[in-house]
Amino acid sequence: MNTIQTQDSLTGRERENLLRKLKQAQHDFGYVSKDMMTETAQSLGLSIGEVYGITTFYSFLSVRPLGKFVIRICKSIPCYMQNAEMIIACVADEIGIKPGETTGDGKFSFELTNCIGACDIAPAMLINHQVYGQLTPGKIAEILRGCE
Amino acid sequence: MGKITATINGTEAHVDEGTTILEAARTVGIEIPTLCHSPDLIPTGNCRVCVVEVEGTRTLVGSCHTPIANGMVIHTRSPRVLTARKATVELLMAGHTGECVTDEHTSECDLRKLADELEGGAPRFLMRKPRWYPIEAFNPYVRRDMSQCVLCRKCISACREIAKKNVYGIAYRGFAAKVIVDFDDPLTTEICRDCGICIDYCPTGALSKPTKKSEVK
Ligand code: SF4
Ligand code: FES
Repeated sequence: MNTIQTQDSLTGRERENLLRKLKQAQHDFGYVSKDMMTETAQSLGLSIGEVYGITTFYSFLSVRPLGKFVIRICKSIPCYMQNAEMIIACVADEIGIKPGETTGDGKFSFELTNCIGACDIAPAMLINHQVYGQLTPGKIAEILRGCE
Repeated sequence: MGKITATINGTEAHVDEGTTILEAARTVGIEIPTLCHSPDLIPTGNCRVCVVEVEGTRTLVGSCHTPIANGMVIHTRSPRVLTARKATVELLMAGHTGECVTDEHTSECDLRKLADELEGGAPRFLMRKPRWYPIEAFNPYVRRDMSQCVLCRKCISACREIAKKNVYGIAYRGFAAKVIVDFDDPLTTEICRDCGICIDYCPTGALSKPTKKSEVK
C-alpha cells in the first residue's frame, strides 16, 4: 500500500488534500493568507468558510503572519495542573503581549496550544520547534533572553 | 435489502437493513429525543441528546446515526441513558443564552423544551465566561444571534444539502467554536440568498427572520 503521498498529490482536487495544502502554505509563508484560503477553497471545490474553519481549528496553522520566534504554551490539563497559568502570565509579562498577539518589532508571537506531548516535563512550551520543560519564571527569562 | 430484527425496550422491531436505531424505535412507537437530527439532513451526531444503551457495547451510542443491527438489545430509557441525556442537555443549556433562559414561557426554543421535559432543575454547570457575540443583522433574510447558538450544525447542513449554497462553516475550537460565513464575515446579501431555509432548521433562537422596522411596535 502506498501510504506516503508525494508532492504531486498536492495538485489533486480531492478534499483530503486540504490539510496538506494548508500545512504547505504555513511552511512556505509562515501563515495561511486569505488569498491562499480562497484559492484552496476554489481548487478543492469547498466553501471559504470550511477552509477558514479548518485553518483556525489547528493550533499550528495561523491565519495571520507570525513573529520570528513563535512561543506556544500548552493549555491542556497536565500543564494546567503544573501551574501553566502562572507560566503564561510570566511569558506575557516578559515580552509584553498577550496570547494571540505578536510584538510590534515582529520578534515574538505568543500562542496557546493544545497538548504538545510534553506532559512529562509540564509545564512546557515550544519556541518554534524547540521544546522547553519544567518551566519556572527564572528559566523563562533566561530562555527568552537567549532568543536572538 | 435484508431485514433486521432487534429489541427496543422489550419490544421487537422488524426493519430494513440500514435503518437507524432512532427510526427503528419510531416504528414501534418509541420516541427518542433529538436536537441536531432532522429526517431531511444527513445525520452528523453532534449533540448526543439521542444516546441509547445497546447491550454489550461499552459506550452509549447516538441513535440518530447508528444503523440498527440484527439481535441488538436496545434501551432508550435506562438509568444510564437518562443520566447521560440529562447531563448533555444541562451542558448545552449552560452554554446557551437567549430569552428562553429567563422567560420560561418561550415556546420557540427546542433546547428549552428538552430541558423542561427532562426536568433539569437548578443549573449545575456554570460557564466561567459566557459565549457572547453581537447580533448580526446585515441582510433582510437572516438575523444571527450567535450567543444563542448551541453548535448543532443544522444550519450548515441545511444550507449545504437543501439550499445547495454551502454558506456556513464552523471555525475556531472548543469554547471559541462558532458558526461562521467565509472568513467570519457578516452574512450579507451578496453571500446569502433569500431562502431562509437555515432559520427553519435552527432549534434555538440563534437564527430568525429579521423584523422589519415598520413591524416593530
Ligand atoms: S445557528 Fe442554530 S442551527 Fe446553526 S448551529 Fe447554531 S443552533 Fe444550530
Ligand atoms: S440528535 Fe443524535 S446526536 Fe444529535
